[in-house]
Amino acid sequence: MPDLPQRKVGIVACSGEELAEGTVTRLAALRVLEHVRPAETVTICLPLFLAGGAGDRAFARFYPTIAVDGCDKRCAARATELYSGKPAASVIVSDLVIEHGLGRPEGARRLNASGQQAVGVTADHIVGLVDQLLGGKWSRRTGSFIEPAATAPAADASQAACACASPIPVQKVDVDGRAVPLAGLPLIFEQFQGAGKAPGAEVTKELLEIVRIYNDVPVGTDEEYTAALAREYAAFYRRKGAPR
Amino acid sequence: MSSEGRKVMIVPCSGIGKPYGTVSREAAYEVTEDLRPRSTQLVALSLLVLGDEEARAAVEAHPTVTIDGCKLACAAKMVHESGGPTAQGFAVLDVYRRHRGFKPVGIAELNEGGQQLAHALAEEITVAVDELISQDEARHHA
Repeated sequence: MPDLPQRKVGIVACSGEELAEGTVTRLAALRVLEHVRPAETVTICLPLFLAGGAGDRAFARFYPTIAVDGCDKRCAARATELYSGKPAASVIVSDLVIEHGLGRPEGARRLNASGQQAVGVTADHIVGLVDQLLGGKWSRRTGSFIEPAATAPAADASQAACACASPIPVQKVDVDGRAVPLAGLPLIFEQFQGAGKAPGAEVTKELLEIVRIYNDVPVGTDEEYTAALAREYAAFYRRKGAPR
Repeated sequence: MSSEGRKVMIVPCSGIGKPYGTVSREAAYEVTEDLRPRSTQLVALSLLVLGDEEARAAVEAHPTVTIDGCKLACAAKMVHESGGPTAQGFAVLDVYRRHRGFKPVGIAELNEGGQQLAHALAEEITVAVDELISQDEARHHA
């Protein structure tokens, strides 16, 4: 199954403002996003899974995602799984603090020295997970590795990539009279057209399988979705033409 | 100041991608730690996202002030979803329009302009908190 362009790893921090460990999650995530792996990582604000749209909710299905939590309530991991997709990995700052024998982080607003140390340890741990995820072949359908495999390097980036302003692109499609938003569809169409896949029954079947990864296709509606995808992709292909 | 027990919940956005999110958080800390520590309480948005009972109960039972860093207004939406009417909502961008000289730069650490903007926002929030406490007291004594 082909991957969509711009393979990156998603990072979702709990950012819990009332706890020093929450501040650690945010600063560690930012260190990775802005300085250590800016070209390979992207983030989204946790509340957008509820407050945002379909493109936001597709985040963890689109990107293998690392949830970074401050405490064992695991708001980021649980909310990501509940509203978007199962995180590829989960990090809990309070566990790392114990594991590394650090002092207790204090000061949600201004971290103490132990908190700053925890930021470094957590960032290092996240970087290890990012590299691990980018080095393996990740199934967005199952949320697990298929097999270790080399992947193409991600595009260059000069600063932290925040998905808040650019969620996964969504296209509304008429499915049996209903306007259904399908996350990732514009990118999927682009990729198929770029690969020279002309509209046809087999290509539509393949389209449906990929659309299903990022969207909920209700049981018993394959026929309606197939018809909608066939129609939309044919129109898209006519507009764009065959690749040269 | 308020009577003992009367509190206003402060819910900042948990924005991680833009300086305005950091401004909302810094303003919330300034209000809850420095300016009105006895009459305010900070509620983390992540708890509301997950439906944490204690956090939901807090925004349901007390007047709540939301602070949003962008037009997506996650804080206001989540408080609404949690069943707590927002007593007053602040948008960092609106405050910035009134204080163009305080341009925020930096996410992990705000520049001086960002700190000044957060302070201006915190003062506006404090006025709102005092009004909400007064209204609450007036209702209690009525």
